Amino acid sequence: MSKDFSVHVEHVTRVEGHGNIILDVKNGRIENLQWNVVEAPRFFEAMLRGQHYNELRPITSRICGICSIGHSLASLKATEDALGVKITNQTATLRRLAIHAENMQSHILHIGYLVAPDLLGAGSVFSLLGKHSDTVLKVVKLHRLANEMSDLICGRTIHPIRLVVGGFSLLPTEKQLNQLKQRLFEAQELTNELASIIQSVAGNLPSFTRETEYIGLTSDKEYSLYDGDITSTDTGRHPSYRDYKEIMQEFFVPHSTAKYAKHARDSYMVGALARFNLNSHQLHPVAQEVASLLKLKAISYNPFMNTIAQLVEFSHSIQDSITLIESLVDQGMKQEKPVKPVKKAGRGVGIVEVPRGILVHDYTLNSQGYCTKANCIIPTNQNHANIQKDMEKLVPEIIDRPEKEIELTLEMLVRAYDPCISCSTHYLDVSFV
Amino acid sequence: MIPVSHVPLIISMSPLSNFSCSMKKKIGIIGLGNPLRADDGIGLLLLQYLQEHKKKLSKNIEFIDGGTSGMSLLHLLEQYNSVFLLDAVDFKGTPGEIKKFTIEEIKNQKIQFFLSTHEPDILTVFSLLKELDKAPTHLLIFGVQPKDISYRIGLSKEVHRVLPILQKKILKEIQSIIKS
Repeated sequence: MSKDFSVHVEHVTRVEGHGNIILDVKNGRIENLQWNVVEAPRFFEAMLRGQHYNELRPITSRICGICSIGHSLASLKATEDALGVKITNQTATLRRLAIHAENMQSHILHIGYLVAPDLLGAGSVFSLLGKHSDTVLKVVKLHRLANEMSDLICGRTIHPIRLVVGGFSLLPTEKQLNQLKQRLFEAQELTNELASIIQSVAGNLPSFTRETEYIGLTSDKEYSLYDGDITSTDTGRHPSYRDYKEIMQEFFVPHSTAKYAKHARDSYMVGALARFNLNSHQLHPVAQEVASLLKLKAISYNPFMNTIAQLVEFSHSIQDSITLIESLVDQGMKQEKPVKPVKKAGRGVGIVEVPRGILVHDYTLNSQGYCTKANCIIPTNQNHANIQKDMEKLVPEIIDRPEKEIELTLEMLVRAYDPCISCSTHYLDVSFV
Repeated sequence: MIPVSHVPLIISMSPLSNFSCSMKKKIGIIGLGNPLRADDGIGLLLLQYLQEHKKKLSKNIEFIDGGTSGMSLLHLLEQYNSVFLLDAVDFKGTPGEIKKFTIEEIKNQKIQFFLSTHEPDILTVFSLLKELDKAPTHLLIFGVQPKDISYRIGLSKEVHRVLPILQKKILKEIQSIIKS
């Protein structure tokens, strides 16, 4: 079909960066197709320079209102790596609980408030109220539990305060942990109900596929979130975490001020789907059942399934948290003081999986313990090139469809990546030019 | 720093007769904003001051650093019958100017809240809470006009100069509202 049209999704954000979808079609031919984003993570790196190592974690926890636990943990791991701090097993277990709390907070927010309206044919979460109030209430309950879990482990819903270099400034009691465990059992029932609802409308997810490279952490011991080796579906495991730049090759493109990234191909994907594709065999059996219900199988090359992978991970986080709590209680909570650094200077790299993918913090500290160099690689930047490549394959496949449908499908694609740029919900506010 | 007494200060606080605090449930004072974005951190500085002077306020008050909470604000707000929000608000005023608003007052005004880098603004969160029948009975927002929200730590000179006055003013206002 020969037609002229443009889709210009202008996302002027309230405060921080913006992303635009630009599509110009003339005589049925794509003349211009761009996913461009403006972000500014480099400013945060500049803020870290000159700061004492004890300040790095509190500052980086303010970078993001959603991934504040992940930034805290990447920061602590980098600092401890630089200073030769070996944390205890109890601290490592509690940090795993913290990262589960964040994964649950972020995933349920994305699934319930941002993607569910697409799947249920509503314009926003408000439009779900009434006909789908019961679904919204389930989402709110699960979100509340994730927030309360963060409160207990990290001391706050967001911007944690109990996570410190070498350990925790305040520990939860065994009684509190047991209470949380009970709540998590109840949450699994709600999650199963939500999975059934999503399953009934999962057919509304586009069946688009594009083969790409997936990168995430892997470990022989667990479904990696807190620890592991950087691993690619194309090139396998890369145990040398300090050489992360060999994998995450950042570059600039003319139409965006944000950094893009590539590795073995022109682009790669990070996040829940990448982790699922790499590590699905290590998911808790209950989470594997959710994956089976929702017909998610590794390797899935459909980026729209990232949301489904998030729901699967949500279930895994519930189950693994229960297991972690049981191990803490069985061993008895010890009133441990944070482990002190054995040196002040050095370079350290901290890598964790946050809800949207691999996050890297890399610090160099001088002999007084002050940061002289910092580098942060955030997941969303690693996904930009993949979003662009997806669009380039997707648009020709749907170009004959109504313009509104093309617009919505492109927005849904961006949303599927759960990008951590300002206010991704504003992609709903679009118009044809 | 220029002495505070030399700084022209605009503080417009319209009387809000319809706002009073029920003591049946908890009162929450929630500071919002990002201290890595210059004046966007003002809400947290005001919160810190109030917390340091909590003896001058009701025992029934909880102080919460909400940061850039976004949708998580839903669960913070639902815990309280009465809420005071402290935040940077672009109401096209003079930098450092402070105003207070109820939700109803801001509904029809184009006001920019520097609430979150990710998610719905305060109106959206409050509206959802209303729909779920979990909204606080009273919500009052103290908004400070920012001068600079670029990526840096520390307030702009303009807002920094009036900070001590803002802190005392808000403490007095909240004391007065709670008493009434």
